[in-house]
Amino acid sequence: MKILVPFKSVLDPNEATAAGAAVSTPKSVINPFDETIGPPAVDEQIRVALAMGVDRAIRIDEFRALDPYAVARILRAVVEKEAPHVVIMGKQAVDDDSNQVGQMLAGLLGWPQATFVSKIEFLGNKTRARCTRETDAGLEIVEVDLPAILTTDLRLNEPRYVSLPGLMRARRKPIEVLTCDQLGTSVRPLTTVLSVARPPRRSAGTRVESVEELITKLKQEAKVI
Amino acid sequence: MDFAWSDQQRELLDAVGRFASQQLKYNVIDNDRDGVFNHDAWEKCGSFGIQGLPVPTQYGGLGMDPLTTVAALERLGYACKDNGLLFSINAHLWTAVTPLIYNGSEAQKKKYLPGLSNGMLIGGNAMSEPNSGSDAFSLSTTAIKKGSTYILNGSKIFVTNGPIADLLVVFATVDKMRGPDGITAFLVEKNSPGMNAARKLEKMGLRTSPMAEVFFENCEVPEENLLGKEGGGAFLFTRSMTWERGCILASAVGSMQRLLETCIRYANERKQGGQSIGKYQLVASKIVDMKVRVESSRHMLYHYGWLSGHRKAVYLEAAMTKLHIADCWVKCCEDAIQIHGGYGYMTEYEVERELRDAIASKLYSGTSEIQRNIVASMLGL
Repeated sequence: MKILVPFKSVLDPNEATAAGAAVSTPKSVINPFDETIGPPAVDEQIRVALAMGVDRAIRIDEFRALDPYAVARILRAVVEKEAPHVVIMGKQAVDDDSNQVGQMLAGLLGWPQATFVSKIEFLGNKTRARCTRETDAGLEIVEVDLPAILTTDLRLNEPRYVSLPGLMRARRKPIEVLTCDQLGTSVRPLTTVLSVARPPRRSAGTRVESVEELITKLKQEAKVI
Repeated sequence: MDFAWSDQQRELLDAVGRFASQQLKYNVIDNDRDGVFNHDAWEKCGSFGIQGLPVPTQYGGLGMDPLTTVAALERLGYACKDNGLLFSINAHLWTAVTPLIYNGSEAQKKKYLPGLSNGMLIGGNAMSEPNSGSDAFSLSTTAIKKGSTYILNGSKIFVTNGPIADLLVVFATVDKMRGPDGITAFLVEKNSPGMNAARKLEKMGLRTSPMAEVFFENCEVPEENLLGKEGGGAFLFTRSMTWERGCILASAVGSMQRLLETCIRYANERKQGGQSIGKYQLVASKIVDMKVRVESSRHMLYHYGWLSGHRKAVYLEAAMTKLHIADCWVKCCEDAIQIHGGYGYMTEYEVERELRDAIASKLYSGTSEIQRNIVASMLGL
């Protein structure tokens, strides 16, 4: 089974790079959403993925700021080139928390999608996937035909640790570098970030001595009751 | 002379540090008190690749050079507080795995090395006897050939990993009259009829590393389990001991580094007489001594590793390395307790255990007195 696992370098948002990795075993899932932030160089992070068991990696060489739609379009090109049976990716990146790429990618490809997945079972000789979704209302189970886009939640798995034999093997595995031109796709973003600011600081609260004082303050100062 | 790590070495050493700090953090206090060996941690180390570090790649190992290997074990000792586990790993590596690499037949290597590398099998050796310790070659366990088997009789003591070992390298004499030239090594699998490794020994430290007294009573060992040549056991043992002396205290260097950092932290935090105790020169001086011991130990260790990897003679260096690090480790532990005062004597602070674990380093793989004898003899004395 060929699985494409896109992951994003999240250490420095200015250098955010979409990277696709194709793997052949369902065990080799890398879940960027619960991966801790790795070393700065993207290739080093890719090596970690290769050491965990990924067979082959593709780095998309793109240093311009990308919005989710641009990333989804790049990934569509990768999917069309690689023709995986399934794409498994994190539900959102920990830097911008957009939570859009997976859904957009499914839309662009016209593939079914299951988001916030915490459990995957492949059925019907791997023609379908039964996915347990974590929603605010509880667990929802959906079945999708493959190929499909699955975006994962934290509890899907505990990423395996990098073993020394894995590290050795990773040194011999290829990292293919592709540009957007080579993929025949444009990365013109649809959105523009005007500025990034911290939320305003909350001022410190005050201590009250008694319930009576609290009620007086709520009535006279805060005027909420 | 280049003291820098290569990118690949740094990557590997970082991975060992990450692995040990994430996967080998568990309650050692209880295991130490109860004398419990952590099988799970052993298997984790195996699947991570620790036991395969020096094993050639064609037998399932990583084929690492000695310098990278000792540096990796140092990282392990820094992040893992279970000195007993590390001692078991060392005994396994230097007294079972190394002799197999050097003296095993192709069939023996294929049969045992992959399992010994990936954590499935536990190895050890059986050399010391109740009446032969430092005078190792005066051993009296006998191996009499009968057809295509050897019949072993005798008893062995202080067998590290004895109660849990799947494979022991056992030394016996095929002819007591031949002295060292009669000593022969055998690969003996667990549950071999006539072998009994049941008597577990209680120890002062390294209590999480099981040790046994092993008895052989007409124990039949097939001819194909002869390790090396008949009469080649003394040479094999000396080589394996040289490896062990050079490498076994690599993890102790990591342990010393950890103790040093613990003491610096404590000396800065603990206030007496209105200031941090680290401001008192008598305390600072102890910490400085610890730092110098760690650095000198590390340099001797790496130098040994470098020499060994470049196929230089290391008989002298291995003995000096072992002697020096053992002394330093015990002194560091004593200083660490002293710096912590009454708290250092309490089990909860995990400093007193280090001392109990460290003291054995002056005894195993040849006592410190034996190491001094070796150094003296190499100096022409």
